[in-house]
Amino acid sequence: MNTKIGRRGALAMTGAAALAGTARAAAAPKEVEIALLVPLSGPWAEQGILERAGAEMAVDDVNKAGGIKSLGGAKLKLLIFDTGATVETAKDAAQRMIAQHPHLVGGMGCWLSTFTLAATEVTERAKLPWLTLSYADAITDRGFHYVFQTSATAKTQAEQTVPFVMKLAQGATHKRPTKVAIVGDNTAASVSFLKPIKAHILKQEKLTAVVDEIYTPPLADATTLVQPIRAANPDFVLVLSTNDGDDKMLADTFSEYGIPASKMPLIGNGGHWAVPELLKTTGAGILQDIMVGMANWPSKALAPLVARYIKRSGNPWMGQNEIFAYAHVQILAWALNKAKVANRLNVADAIRTMNITDGPAIYFPGHHLQFTSIGRRVGAALVIIQWQSGKPVTIFPASAAQAKAIWPV
Amino acid sequence: MRIGGARRLRRDAAVAAVLVALYALGAALVHNSYYQLILTLVPVWAVLGLGWNLFSGMSGLVSFGHAAFFGIGAYVVTLALVYWHLTPWLGIPLGMAAGAGAALLIGLPTFRLRGHYFALSMLAYPLAILYVLEYLGFQEVPLPMHREHPALYLQFAAPLTMTLVALGLFVLAMIAGLLVENSRFGLALLAVRQNELAAEAAGLDTWRWKMRGLVASGAIAAAAGGLYACVLLVVTPDAVFNVVVSAQALVLTLFGGVGTVWGPVIGAAVLIPLAETLNAKLGSIIPGIQGVVYGIAIIGIMLAAPEGLFWTFRDRFFRPAPPPPAPAPRPAPAAMPPRGQVLLDVRDISKTFGGLRAVQEVSFQLQAGEILGIIGPNGAGKTTLFNLLCGVIAADTGSARLGEVELRGQKVHRVARLGVGRTFQVVRSFPRLSLLENVIVAGYGAGLSDTNAAGAAEAALEAVGLADRAARPAGGLTNKDLRLMELARALAGAPRLLLLDETLAGLGREECDELLAVLRRLRDGGMSIVIIEHTMHAMLRLADRFLVLDHGRVLAEGPPRAVMENPAVIEAYLGSKFLARQNA
Repeated sequence: MNTKIGRRGALAMTGAAALAGTARAAAAPKEVEIALLVPLSGPWAEQGILERAGAEMAVDDVNKAGGIKSLGGAKLKLLIFDTGATVETAKDAAQRMIAQHPHLVGGMGCWLSTFTLAATEVTERAKLPWLTLSYADAITDRGFHYVFQTSATAKTQAEQTVPFVMKLAQGATHKRPTKVAIVGDNTAASVSFLKPIKAHILKQEKLTAVVDEIYTPPLADATTLVQPIRAANPDFVLVLSTNDGDDKMLADTFSEYGIPASKMPLIGNGGHWAVPELLKTTGAGILQDIMVGMANWPSKALAPLVARYIKRSGNPWMGQNEIFAYAHVQILAWALNKAKVANRLNVADAIRTMNITDGPAIYFPGHHLQFTSIGRRVGAALVIIQWQSGKPVTIFPASAAQAKAIWPV
Repeated sequence: MRIGGARRLRRDAAVAAVLVALYALGAALVHNSYYQLILTLVPVWAVLGLGWNLFSGMSGLVSFGHAAFFGIGAYVVTLALVYWHLTPWLGIPLGMAAGAGAALLIGLPTFRLRGHYFALSMLAYPLAILYVLEYLGFQEVPLPMHREHPALYLQFAAPLTMTLVALGLFVLAMIAGLLVENSRFGLALLAVRQNELAAEAAGLDTWRWKMRGLVASGAIAAAAGGLYACVLLVVTPDAVFNVVVSAQALVLTLFGGVGTVWGPVIGAAVLIPLAETLNAKLGSIIPGIQGVVYGIAIIGIMLAAPEGLFWTFRDRFFRPAPPPPAPAPRPAPAAMPPRGQVLLDVRDISKTFGGLRAVQEVSFQLQAGEILGIIGPNGAGKTTLFNLLCGVIAADTGSARLGEVELRGQKVHRVARLGVGRTFQVVRSFPRLSLLENVIVAGYGAGLSDTNAAGAAEAALEAVGLADRAARPAGGLTNKDLRLMELARALAGAPRLLLLDETLAGLGREECDELLAVLRRLRDGGMSIVIIEHTMHAMLRLADRFLVLDHGRVLAEGPPRAVMENPAVIEAYLGSKFLARQNA
């Protein structure tokens, strides 16, 4: 046999080896790659860091429990990417992720709806199943096939938030609120949230928006937003910010102007309103009584998981961002197990057809996991938490409530 | 075509064609979709840089607001696709039209401003549009995915195709840039850059050229924005109208070299991949550090090559002696009015600035073939009088007739075209252009064709004795030669009347004599000259008549010797004490 192998021959052999490699990998891979694409720099970094903590814990849990059973115990490998602080860097990062990691079977991100909208334009074209906690309705309004939104959309949240607030206020004060002040940034989630409110909810609830201010995040100064609110003296304030830096600035300014949430009810929206960092920078006093609508919060049944998370991360609690990321990894693990092959198309199929009340379903309120044809989670609903004595506690829905809601009077 | 432009155009086009072909070939070998994205972004940003350079680089009017045009292009393409299902193939031309229209609307008020004020007000437009779009609810507009006819909607399955489309747009922008750079269009903008008033005095309608430049530039920037929207797939006001976009155009061009099409090309080819690579490599290690490294890299390179990579490299490695220009046909010398006829008749012209009466009821006549020297102490109103005659400022009352034509109320470039050539106290040349090109602008101003303008410029250089230095860059000229070049610039428009403002200032005695000889020769050829000058010994030898101004009024007029002995003139220059001592 001729042992001399030409360059072309060597190339062919490498190619064959690579092909064989993929074939074997498809049969029984040792590792399966999944992606987390979130803001790790810029104003939204805190949210991304918390998502990373949740995802990493889930990956460790899955791997410790024996990996993906139907794939011969293949381990999950989490690849982490930073969206940066702009829609361009988010899209570039998505492109890089797709191009340089052809073996990815699924992913999750990008926290901020604006980033998710951009990144999913890339993942959809690559047919990569993508799980997101972002709220904007537009994310699943585009007719995409590979994007799965596990949170209640902003519109749903808006439609549930205002009636809850009205009912709570009436119960406490025996009087229906008539005046609301609205402050929001101009990102996709906030815009989605405010659209139905301005279109019909205000009218339906007989509310007048006495202040309606929009700003571009991040905020440099909140006095021009807070001053008119103090002057208008509304019954409650709706704040649609998207990062904890802006939350702090707004809460501080409300407090400076003598209208902290404990005097004038403040209803925020989004997981960033309940991150440990906010407590550290703003303090329990100023945050007291702020109510926050969001898409998920660990229920009482998940107490052991929460306890493990607190021990592992050193954070004082497990919130929306962490539980979502944890759940997303568990969904991908479940789908891989179901698909029995490490292939993104099969994983997407498994997610699309899932209809379960156990496994990863337990990480969502209602314990049911199924997606509609456009990729929205069936029955996804609002969760409201309230800052009480330096801790966020759930007050809505009643089934998950850890404490009674306080309406400041 | 500018002088030597055709040759330069052919050479640059050939180099560009080879580079584009190599780029396309290289891109075809790239299969990683992320690297392909970078290869798509390089020509897109280069197009924006080319657009910026075409206006700001050439004219020197720095625009911090090209994001306005870029963003308009992006939003027109996106919204036309969302609401009218209009393919970007048509959306991009539509966006270019919108960008050109916006440039017109922006130029109309903004060209009233100059220098830093122009730059700053340009900054405001994109920011204003940004807020309007946010108010209208266009915070995030995804380009709808078209699965049916992806190619029709610029949504190719193969990313390479997008790179080729971007490259195609780049080729078009490059052609536009090269044509402008090598034609009178480019030279007119360069003339604005060196001295707008001088260009205007040379007969160029600078407002019109600037507007043409901004409109072309706006259209090109809009094209880049339109294509960028198709690459980005989600358009946000912040992504396309942000000041960072305007800065990108500026940074790419300054980095590569201002005033040449190669500047933005080099800038984009180096900086875009650098920024992306830093994002990819460093961003994953320490998120955010990429911006710091990118900034340091730019500062470092700008310190090493402050004029941009192109000029620095060219100056260091290729400094070919410019070839002597081919002799161009000389235009027939302008017919001079017969000697002794009244050429300029100024009557009771006045100008007040608030409480200051700068020029008061000044009247004088100039005969054809005469040299009239205007003298007077500083602040006497001499230069203001010139500015009134040229149309730089409007007279309050009075008249100034050149032959049969009233000059009052005419624009500067119109006055120039009527046959009035002017020089300025401070000479500003374009140092990188040859002497001939510096002078040729005036030929364009006089409305001459390309070859005739070249001929007129050569004749003018010959008349002032600079013909042997015509091909040298103006940067290396002595003060005297600069003055002569300025004079040649005034002559190239074939004037009947020359207004010379302190042409002899700062010259030594011998240099002064040389200039005087030139001026006398011009007079002997029939030229009529009005000259403002402080160098009295020269004026006594040159002028046929003196006109003395003091506090805006005519103090004396007549033959030089007689005027110099006039007690009123001595008092104005040397004070009443001197006069009293002399009389004592």
